[in-house]
Amino acid sequence: MRPARRRPGGGSCVDQKPSYSAALSGNPQSATGAAYPNGNPDLLYNRPGARNTDSAVPLRRDRPPVVHNYSCDGPAPGNLAFRWTYGSNVAARNRDPRVQVVQYNEDSFVMRQNVCVHWEAPFTYLLFGNAGALLIDSGATDNAQHYPLRETVDAIITRWGQARGRKNIPLTVALTSGEDIAQNQGLVQFVGRPDTAIVPKPLEVMKRFYGLGSSWPSGTGKIDLGDRVIEVIPTPGTHKDGVSFYDPYCDFLFTGDLLFPGRINIGNDRDFVTSLERLKAFAASRPVKWILGGHVDMMFVPGQYYPRFRNYKPFERVLEMTPDLIDEAITSAKAVQGKEMMLIRPDFVLFNGVSPDQRTREWPAGVPKIDTPRPF
Amino acid sequence: MTKSASIDRRSFLAYNAAAAAIPLTGASIAGLTSAASALVRPAPIDFGSNLPAAGTFPAKWICGSSSCMDNTDPPVHVHWYNPHTAILRQNKAYSYEAPFAPLYFGNDRVLLLDEGFVQLRNDWDLRGVVDQCIDEWCRRNGRDPASLELLVAFSHLHADHYAATNQFADRPNTRYMGLTHEEMLGFWGMTNFPEERVALDLGGREILIWGSPGHVVSEFAYYDSYTQILYTGDMFYRGRCYISFWEPWFDSMKRLIDFVDTHPVAHVMGCHVEMSRGGEDYPYGITYQPDEAPVHMTVQQLRDTFEFAKTITKPGIYFTGTVFLCNQTRGTTTIDKNPYKYD
Repeated sequence: MRPARRRPGGGSCVDQKPSYSAALSGNPQSATGAAYPNGNPDLLYNRPGARNTDSAVPLRRDRPPVVHNYSCDGPAPGNLAFRWTYGSNVAARNRDPRVQVVQYNEDSFVMRQNVCVHWEAPFTYLLFGNAGALLIDSGATDNAQHYPLRETVDAIITRWGQARGRKNIPLTVALTSGEDIAQNQGLVQFVGRPDTAIVPKPLEVMKRFYGLGSSWPSGTGKIDLGDRVIEVIPTPGTHKDGVSFYDPYCDFLFTGDLLFPGRINIGNDRDFVTSLERLKAFAASRPVKWILGGHVDMMFVPGQYYPRFRNYKPFERVLEMTPDLIDEAITSAKAVQGKEMMLIRPDFVLFNGVSPDQRTREWPAGVPKIDTPRPF
Repeated sequence: MTKSASIDRRSFLAYNAAAAAIPLTGASIAGLTSAASALVRPAPIDFGSNLPAAGTFPAKWICGSSSCMDNTDPPVHVHWYNPHTAILRQNKAYSYEAPFAPLYFGNDRVLLLDEGFVQLRNDWDLRGVVDQCIDEWCRRNGRDPASLELLVAFSHLHADHYAATNQFADRPNTRYMGLTHEEMLGFWGMTNFPEERVALDLGGREILIWGSPGHVVSEFAYYDSYTQILYTGDMFYRGRCYISFWEPWFDSMKRLIDFVDTHPVAHVMGCHVEMSRGGEDYPYGITYQPDEAPVHMTVQQLRDTFEFAKTITKPGIYFTGTVFLCNQTRGTTTIDKNPYKYD
């Protein structure tokens, strides 16, 4: 008898033991792509993560601000349940939201810039703690009419504050790279915003802001959001001022341009390898659920990717990467180190010292080559 | 219509404009709903004197926008080079290839060269735009649009030049080029590609057509005797001339030079623009070219490029001052560099 594990229906579970088959048990088009789209009956009903999700319950009105419990066993529950907007064949006629907002969980939001506003379609992350919020990256477009990031962030913060009974929520805006114009353009929208700290762009000033003045690139910095301390890991390689962020609540690594499912343009191959190794050591000492980069260029078939400037990417790979991909990235980075070449891998492509539009006829051994349909 | 369907393509090409005008006024009148417009059909337009016919290019073509979904330009930029010649350009927010497409009007026929890079009418209504141009020209010149035959052809066999062809499938009095090398040659009645130069008579306005392989095998050069514009497709344009086959391309260049040696040419015009006025490369696929170079080039620029090409012995990317010659590099490398490279 296992009293904590109740099976609906009870009775003779021996012949009912679910052996998972998407065709029999679930919807193969399930939006989440979860292995158990109808739930896994072998798991507990009352799991410990539930206590991290009760801070927005509507019973809390007229009380002091909610203090959320950010310490949890394993990653905080959350789900990237929706498909990203992927542009349209005729970009001028696209009517998708300019900023797509997906709530990962109550305290973590992912925003994507519309592919038809800017082809880089960067991802921007908004994380909340008990003492403030952090915006990681700022998108590729400064014009707030075209890309209303500030307006969207303000609205999310307002709603979040109302749910938590908070009025003043200080915001920090940090970039995975200050020089990357695919991620720093939206910054101007936050200039002059009250109660907002913008991490300065110049490398030396940025290092001092994170307390890395003397320990760059081996040390780590911190951004304390209040019981949710985001760690800052120097990861130059694609950009000389590249940093990655670690969120101990969701167990995410935000790697920006350093490691993402797409065309990774290496700025300096020595730094790139070192940073990936530093990232690996870091990930070994902390739980990491997913790596979330700044873009998606890969398609959902291995090794195929969208070229630059595409406004229509209907076959995109998912955003999230598992931490074991760091090992593959290190192996691949070492393979291109010191050589001017590009290297196709199933989940990313490395460009070292070559044009960002470089092409190759070398296809990785053992990877199936699957042609994807053209727009017409 | 019955008359033109009964002649084969070769005799149709050689057909004298004056002869073509007779059956049209004779046989087609019965089919016209508006007898009045047919009865007052004006005298044919003279496309043969005071050549080259004057015309102008716009100071600036539509060239995309920083945010594609906020682009407010028309889907097709229609520019009337002169009253009998329109040049169309696809909006970059509808397709990054944004090809240019001349529309030549004659007394009997209209020739459309190139059909853009979007297939469906609900996405990009090229057919509607061309119909509008034809209506406008007919209104100005007192013609009935139904009396004009439309020829839908393209410079070469690449999808960014024929994608919208099928939008014309249900258009009356229209013929369009097939999507194979054989059908393309057959459309112009060629039997000796690429050397053979055929003359298409639009009704007093003669278009000379010959083979121009090199970028692809199946490509033509088109010369309009009225405006004296030499349309060189994708084998020579203000951008990256992707040369797939060097020898045929070089021979095609030689053929163009021989042509400009013996014929007056006002402008040389390609299908795309992919560089700025200052000679800076706009990388492949970009959708905003704020300072783009003009589409038209001079004969001297063509000659200079040929002189430059004589010095090229190896595959690679060469900037001639006018164009980029990408000799057999398309599948491997490009011009752009990673701006974030550091030591």
